[in-house]
Amino acid sequence: MSKGDRSTVISERRQVETEIPRNWFIAKLDDLVVNWARRNSLWPMPFGTACCAIEMMAAAASKYDQARFGMERMGYTPRQADVLIVAGRVSYKMAPVMRRIWDQMPQPKWCISMGACASTGGVFDTYTLMQGIDTVVPVDVYVPGCPPRPEGLLYGLLMIQEKIKGESVKDRRPREEDPERVGKPHLSPEEIELIAQPFGNSTFQNRVSGLESSSPILRPGDRKE
Amino acid sequence: MKPGPNGAAERPDLRQLHAKFGDAVRSLEQDAAGEPVVFVAPERNVEILAYLRDSQGYDLLKDVTGLDLGGDRPLQVVYQLWSTRDSNSLRVKAELPPDHLKLGSAFDIWRASNWLEREVYDMFGVVFEGHPDHRRILMPENYEEGYPLRKDFPLRGRFSRAEQTRLAMSQEMEDIYSLDELVVRGRSGAPGEDRGDGIETQNMILNIGPQHPATHGVLRLVCELDGETIVKCTPHIGYLHTGFEKLCEYRTWNQVIPLTDRMDYLAPILYNIGYALGVEELLGIEVTPRCKVIRVICSELNRILSHLIWVGTTAIDIGAFTPFLYTFQERERIYNLHEAYVGARMTTSASRVGGMMADVPPGWLDGVRDFVETFPNTLDETERLLTQNSIWIGRTQGVGTIDGKGAIDVGLCGPNLRASGVAYDVRKDKPYLDYETYDFDVPIGEYGDVYDRYLVRMEEMRQSVRILEQALARVPDGPINVDDPRVILPPKSEVMNSIDGMISHFKLVMEGLKVPAGEVWSSIESSKGELGFYLVADGGPKPVRCRFRGPSFMNISALPYLVEGELIADLIAVNASVDIVLGEIDR
Ligand code: SF4
Repeated sequence: MSKGDRSTVISERRQVETEIPRNWFIAKLDDLVVNWARRNSLWPMPFGTACCAIEMMAAAASKYDQARFGMERMGYTPRQADVLIVAGRVSYKMAPVMRRIWDQMPQPKWCISMGACASTGGVFDTYTLMQGIDTVVPVDVYVPGCPPRPEGLLYGLLMIQEKIKGESVKDRRPREEDPERVGKPHLSPEEIELIAQPFGNSTFQNRVSGLESSSPILRPGDRKE
Repeated sequence: MKPGPNGAAERPDLRQLHAKFGDAVRSLEQDAAGEPVVFVAPERNVEILAYLRDSQGYDLLKDVTGLDLGGDRPLQVVYQLWSTRDSNSLRVKAELPPDHLKLGSAFDIWRASNWLEREVYDMFGVVFEGHPDHRRILMPENYEEGYPLRKDFPLRGRFSRAEQTRLAMSQEMEDIYSLDELVVRGRSGAPGEDRGDGIETQNMILNIGPQHPATHGVLRLVCELDGETIVKCTPHIGYLHTGFEKLCEYRTWNQVIPLTDRMDYLAPILYNIGYALGVEELLGIEVTPRCKVIRVICSELNRILSHLIWVGTTAIDIGAFTPFLYTFQERERIYNLHEAYVGARMTTSASRVGGMMADVPPGWLDGVRDFVETFPNTLDETERLLTQNSIWIGRTQGVGTIDGKGAIDVGLCGPNLRASGVAYDVRKDKPYLDYETYDFDVPIGEYGDVYDRYLVRMEEMRQSVRILEQALARVPDGPINVDDPRVILPPKSEVMNSIDGMISHFKLVMEGLKVPAGEVWSSIESSKGELGFYLVADGGPKPVRCRFRGPSFMNISALPYLVEGELIADLIAVNASVDIVLGEIDR
């Protein structure tokens, strides 16, 4: 099947799907029931790599007990999970693995980026660390901190629940997936360049020490060998 | 570095070395701590190392690393040796010209050098001839940007972020995986072989990780299985490589401290203190008596912290959930103590060069006392759950066995080495922080199996409690930081009221701490084994090289020797028993 064929098939399907909830009242009821169910039985998929993972474990252990909020089951398989919790530093070597896990999770799914490293690269503006996982997977909630306290993670999970409240079964856009984008970065190269630019403290330090330029470099050849 | 005729040259082993190899021993120097450094001719490096092990008793290879001083200066490969017989250490260096980075591999002398040399190749591009498994270890195998720890390699990598992301995501994962697996496949080779029963069978390849709950982080194990028996196990690491050692070269000496606790986040203060001790050795300063005792208290608390999570997670891996809840409860209490002292639960950054970030708050020591009194009860309860438990015994006794000699050879360290009957503990063999004045035992095992490793750690926690009791009884009054304006910020009152105070404050804040040129290899006993710091300074405010010799790195490199021939179910138990933390392995 050529590419053109596929897009027509998808658009036809979409029409059919949007026609199903004809009745406004039934649609609202659907939303209520479905969102209530989704919200209160989130199954997290812990993708813990570094220090933040220990705080994630603490959130699951006896003192904080995230099971109180319906997250009873930590699913260690992406096939049976709703929320990907990325806790810790993600290196370029790990990036394809993370993307594959995200692709393996069935819809509906959400993603939490836990900690400074997962969200922005944190203090590690180095050659090996991804500057924010949102370049590769879409993120719903960022939990700040280094590491965030277990309460912080719980708050992040509650925010996912809030987000689900606002969703509607009728609006399928957030749940759509393009098979063409599987295994690809989430953002375009220009956007990655923009959000991964050296900023804040590290820029300042390097400019002072004259170690290297801090302007964005777009092609491999631009940097001195 | 101080050259020439001094105490080091008098040592009989070095005199004999010189007599035997003549000109191949190029020069003899001393580092900042007075430890001898021998420069040898690269061609005869292997020969000299073999001689040192066989005839001079240097049986323990602690570290192999590289040192690039920038410019056209030769690249150094550094071997750090230790003799368990004479309690002596020795550093051997081979200088390689930048256009000829080749050296013989020491794999035949110490199997422990396997991964260490691979890391030097990965980070510096030194080729080790005769190495059995010469591949990159931390960076992906298709990494094109160069050798990260060379001085001409930029901190953020050569390519732009977009290009790096594109390259990472365009890896065909199956390609990379099979590239890795070639090493495994190379052995079984043929598609199937007949083992005499008329049935063609083939060994199976099983991949575990990098995202798997039983690997304690992002470790990947590739196993070749014959039925349920492990024929070959290849650990793959580097999925959490963060570039700590490179980043440290761009930070001032005190700014490195917050990085250290992000390496071993299970026992963060141990790392903080070990690093501060290393820099203090370079500077030649000694901390105050109060600081020493407070550091001992923090160290031992963190040893308990780390062993507790070990017991909890290992028990989960083997199928017992309850100990996890018990031990995490106690961990929370230590976290509370952390929080009361430094304000953070886990990323403590507690030490400073020349002291601690602050004196302990009032009442804190009572909190520790309270913990020390009640903690042994929980320990007893946990032990009651496990030590005599027949399932636990069945899963752990006689599994993953290694004897003392083998353990030294493959580079095991810490509780794992002691479980094999080698009583090597840095606190006893090369005391720091006045550990020689404390009364404690070094527990050793008999069989070197998983059960012994468990018993050794349990006993170590008891000994830590003993040390804590003694330390609490002797906390002296007095300042926590050294009185040295070159190192420690003066108190605020002085900064505001005296010109001297203001100047030294200004200089420290604006320029950073200056450390005289020199190098040092200092080590402490962390919860996982010997934690070494190889620090090189050039007189400036930033390190030239910060090398962290992580004990977990050494322990995990020995995993294949422990599991080959065991059952696949035991792999999980053995892997858990060596106690790894990936942040430190991958750095
Ligand atoms: S945000 Fe901080 S605690 Fe979390 S992984 Fe990064 S360094 Fe570790």
